[in-house]
Amino acid sequence: MTPTFLGFPRINDTVGTRNYVLVIPAGRVLSIAATRVTEYVTGTKTAIIGGGEVGHHKRDRERIARLLVGFAKNPNTFATIILGAKRNFGYREVEPYTLAHEIAKAGKPVEVLTVEESGGLERLVEDGIAMARRYVHLASLVRREPVSAENLTIGVKCGWSDATSGIAGNPTFGKAADLLINAGGSVIFSETTELIGTEQDIAGRCVDKADASRLLAMVHEVEEAAKRTGEDIRAINPIPSNIVAGITTLEEKSLGAVRKAGTSPIVSVLEYATQPTKKGLHFMDGWMSAFSLPMSLAAAGAQISLYQLGGEDLPSNDPPMLATNNAVVASLMMITGNPRTASKAERSIDFSSGAIITGTATVEQMGEALFAKILSIASGEFTKGETINYADPLDAYFLGPVF
Amino acid sequence: MFHALQLEPGDNVATLVVDAEGNTELTIQAPGKTVVLMTVDPISFGHKVALTSLKKGDIVSKYGRPIGRAMSDIPKGGLVGVHNLEGLRGRGDLVQERGASK
Repeated sequence: MTPTFLGFPRINDTVGTRNYVLVIPAGRVLSIAATRVTEYVTGTKTAIIGGGEVGHHKRDRERIARLLVGFAKNPNTFATIILGAKRNFGYREVEPYTLAHEIAKAGKPVEVLTVEESGGLERLVEDGIAMARRYVHLASLVRREPVSAENLTIGVKCGWSDATSGIAGNPTFGKAADLLINAGGSVIFSETTELIGTEQDIAGRCVDKADASRLLAMVHEVEEAAKRTGEDIRAINPIPSNIVAGITTLEEKSLGAVRKAGTSPIVSVLEYATQPTKKGLHFMDGWMSAFSLPMSLAAAGAQISLYQLGGEDLPSNDPPMLATNNAVVASLMMITGNPRTASKAERSIDFSSGAIITGTATVEQMGEALFAKILSIASGEFTKGETINYADPLDAYFLGPVF
Repeated sequence: MFHALQLEPGDNVATLVVDAEGNTELTIQAPGKTVVLMTVDPISFGHKVALTSLKKGDIVSKYGRPIGRAMSDIPKGGLVGVHNLEGLRGRGDLVQERGASK
């Protein structure tokens, strides 16, 4: 039987697992307007990318633009409203009509409002609220329908890794990833630094030899940058909590981390915040930060971003979660393979494969259960994070330097 | 019931899934078999125990792949961690030392 979920069909033949109106600030000075509109209107999302575009070179400004356009193209977005200062204001990459032109290619509704045409910043906020409310109401007329799991793309990062990550949590995700890919869907993994020590194995799984070479070049570039810091990388990554929990070297962390890539062939190697053009398993160049990667995966088209948590070093009762709702239009789903983490963070964890560590379940069993849970989240079940009205700040993965 | 996992046949460390005192008998689940080993050090959940005695400079293997190099001799049953195992990759500290000695 083909796995299915209940999703929102879009005009461009993609299927959403959520149904948001996206409000984009075209340039950092519009963050205040986008924040006010999305605070006021239910069913909306925005993305305030810390620091913004000012003083960044072109390749990094393009990264901001790719993120914003990617959120708009994500199947979870019903319509997009761009708030700008005026036509031709600021850097070209984040100019409102330039963004709208790119977003319009997805075939979904996109609108531009500007301070200049609204007659002032506060008039823009009023216009933005009125327009957002109209689109939210229109979005509410779309009904969920049963569709094949081939319409689902999920992204994954692992974090606060401990010894359970490589033994239980990541292999469980890997099994679920294989199941989704076998059903015709897509999975995107990332974290270029955490390929160091295992890159030859991963490159060997690339279907396309040119992709394998690009992947090795991405890893080489990040390792050379690490060496230029003059530090042993394990003073940076693995992070202190990884080391306290028993991960000793970056190679050890990497070998555990890539278990989340399952066993499927890698059909494409993507630049940061770009969308795959085929179905299957993809590697995307990216930075592991919990405030950066989940939204970057959403920009690449993931409707659900999973955070595979170790968590051994977290406080022992109801610890703060390491990321809250920072995947913008995608759902952020928290999973763990550590039974102790599952117990102490019960309020935040959506799925635990901790039974592998206690010897009472297999990776195969847990992978199948996780896949079923992912399909339920895709069909509308909230993640525990989604019951909270807070979203962490966002960091783009910049090449730097800044000027 | 097992106390530690050896992930691949060639690995010379296993990962604990319990907290263990020193001089304690561990049952280690290895691929296709079970091994019994006495700890030398206290070893916490998630940390690594040496399955064989290691010499300084020996490559330490987990997941069937090298994860670093022993910085000192490590007895069978000893704790393997940041105090006696160094990574081989991303070693900017070594690059700088070579630069400084010029």
